[in-house]
Amino acid sequence: MLIKQMYDWIDLRLGAREIVKKQLTGYLLPARINEWYSLGSVLMVIFGLQVVTGMLLMVYYVPDPEKAFKSITFIMNEVPYGWLIRLCHAVGSNMMVAVLFLHMFSVLMMGSYKSPRELNWLTGFILFCLVQGISLTGYLAPWSQLSFWATTVATNSAAAIPVVGPYLVEFMRGGKLVGPPTLGRFFAIHVVVLPAVIAALVALHLFLLKRTGISRPPEGTKECRNPTPTGSYSYESHPGGVPFFPNYALQDLTSICIYIAAFLAVVFFAPNFLFTPDAFVPANAFLTPAHIKPEWYFLANYQTLKIFPSELLGLSVQVAAMTLLALLPFIDRSPERNPLKRPLFLTLAVGGILLWLGLTIWGHYS
Amino acid sequence: MTYRHTTRYHLRAAFGALVLAALALPHPAPAAGAGHPETVCIECHSSLPDRLGAPVKLWRSSVHAENGISCNACHGGDPNDADDAMNRSKGFLGAPKETEVPAFCGRCHPGVMKDYLASAHGLALGKGGPNCVTCHGNHQVLKASIELINEKNCTRCHSFERARAIRDAMQQTESSIVGIDARIKGFQAEGVDTERLGKGLFAVRNRFHTLFHEVNVAQVKAESAQIDAELAKLDRDLRVIEEARARRKVAGGFAVAGMLLLALLCHLMKKSFD
Amino acid sequence: MANESRRKFLGACLAGATAVAVAGAGYPVLGYLAPRPGKVGADKLEFASGDIAAGEAKFFEYQGTSAVLVKTNAGALVALSAVCTHMGCIVQWEKDKQAFLCPCHAGHYSPDGAVTAGPPPKPLAKIPFSVAGGKITVG
Repeated sequence: MLIKQMYDWIDLRLGAREIVKKQLTGYLLPARINEWYSLGSVLMVIFGLQVVTGMLLMVYYVPDPEKAFKSITFIMNEVPYGWLIRLCHAVGSNMMVAVLFLHMFSVLMMGSYKSPRELNWLTGFILFCLVQGISLTGYLAPWSQLSFWATTVATNSAAAIPVVGPYLVEFMRGGKLVGPPTLGRFFAIHVVVLPAVIAALVALHLFLLKRTGISRPPEGTKECRNPTPTGSYSYESHPGGVPFFPNYALQDLTSICIYIAAFLAVVFFAPNFLFTPDAFVPANAFLTPAHIKPEWYFLANYQTLKIFPSELLGLSVQVAAMTLLALLPFIDRSPERNPLKRPLFLTLAVGGILLWLGLTIWGHYS
Repeated sequence: MTYRHTTRYHLRAAFGALVLAALALPHPAPAAGAGHPETVCIECHSSLPDRLGAPVKLWRSSVHAENGISCNACHGGDPNDADDAMNRSKGFLGAPKETEVPAFCGRCHPGVMKDYLASAHGLALGKGGPNCVTCHGNHQVLKASIELINEKNCTRCHSFERARAIRDAMQQTESSIVGIDARIKGFQAEGVDTERLGKGLFAVRNRFHTLFHEVNVAQVKAESAQIDAELAKLDRDLRVIEEARARRKVAGGFAVAGMLLLALLCHLMKKSFD
Repeated sequence: MANESRRKFLGACLAGATAVAVAGAGYPVLGYLAPRPGKVGADKLEFASGDIAAGEAKFFEYQGTSAVLVKTNAGALVALSAVCTHMGCIVQWEKDKQAFLCPCHAGHYSPDGAVTAGPPPKPLAKIPFSVAGGKITVG
């Protein structure tokens, strides 16, 4: 058959059969692997979709304050299927944060951040911060009232940092207030800098994952401890486990299809879920709308700053929380991975999540 | 071990619950709010009794108060200095006489004053006819609506027949305008370019508003018919957009169903390897 | 084995469904990127006779491409496409020579578009026009 001949041709030059055996059909995953492990590939697909829709939007979008809003109105109304591309990009950015939270949740619950996977957690945490950054910078692009004032509020929070705060704010904005220089630098960061850095970090994250080996999921109420460190590097293999290809690859595909179905449901039936009317009014630097709020994933941060009388205190509390989260593998060193056998961690984690949810809901209604 | 009590089941349930919880988060909506500092007029008169204090309470529930328009806007005088607040040489006008009322209100509402003076009501000013405050009140002025043309108001001077005919002709147009305005705002919140439609409605609405002080029944009926025709055009344009939206939803339905089918096929394929 | 035939069937269904999905995603993207018709410009353009003097050429955009209106010293009017028939550069009007010169490869045209020297294979395309009451209507 022709396909076999082509495969042979490539195998002769690249040793393709050996790669396929090592990385795909012969790459064994833990026998009890569950669906949560597929969230990583869902995130990669979301990132890919954002890059593709972003590139398409750049064909018609103009990053100039005079023209930005009009170019997006043009995309939404005149360009065939422009509304679809734009909505996919806007909804996709929210989905990325949501799925990222789910991914983080499963890693926390299954203790996959623990030794020897600390570096994986760190790169993942940095990716989390970068995704927040790319969402923030992208938000300014439409140059609507919502974009302009949400960016003003968000960049203002850095002013609380002692000594360098106000200069940092000016540096971020490219001026004292949000204006044309802000759009220029935010656009460059959003379109080139952050996507490149995110792609590089994802590659590193995947390399670390493969180098250490996939973790076993905890089971029932049985203890599930990581192997004790032996003093030299070892790869966590799973003899008798499930091949990545085709078995888990199909699970990845199933999760991706379910995600795309949910994603398209929002795009076609409830895109307004994420837009307020202010998103469709061009930016007016002289008129602040009555109730400007950040996107849902920043509402907890927003509410925290509102609670504390001193902005510096509010900021410090959040920095402390994020630092604790980043250093989690170095704080929680017990080898136990079953959440039901980690009562202290479970209490703190569930408490923390409920606190975040509570602050988010409060931030929405305040 | 039965299916229900495995970690797998608990994990799946948690996944589902989280997704549902995320979808239940409500849609943010902005709220309005404004505050204006009080003028010296209000500060003093609000503590005065009877006739001198009553207007303040009435004014507080008015549309003027909502928009920060206080006593000095109509009666003149200095709103910040109690000494000059009622000083005639500083612009204080006092309470207007009956025939002075239209000019009083017309300083800010010139278009309406022009329409009123040209109408039969305006021509009867000072000869037993109504002035602005006859129907709109003087301190508790509310946002004008078609409800002002009612039996109680109009039968003070004559029968309600003609007024009823005018009101009926305008009621229809009024609800059309409100409906079209709501649809346009709805589309604007979805990203539709509503500039042309918005401007069109604005023009028609202004044209309609000049009818409010016209009391000639035939004139009102003719103008209303023309305005209704303009509105029908806007309605047609909006319908085109609505139809396109409906088609999009149908396509969306197919897309979502298609992806779920693909998910099912992948899942079944996976099961065949397990 | 039942499994094998099931896999083959599912595989076929998957392949078909994926092809439909790819087409469903590709069609809007192609529509989005395709050049849009419509705004090519009006079918007819009007100029005042006084706009163009004898011995002058007036360049303008017509139906999305470059065109030129020439009034020779004798007063004759011609409307031509300004796109050189050799490799598509825009020709220039040489007032002193009363002729067209293409700057890319030195193609020469007479005022009525005929090739007088150089590589162009065909004369400049003529555009229909009419003159009425002090107005020139191209198209």
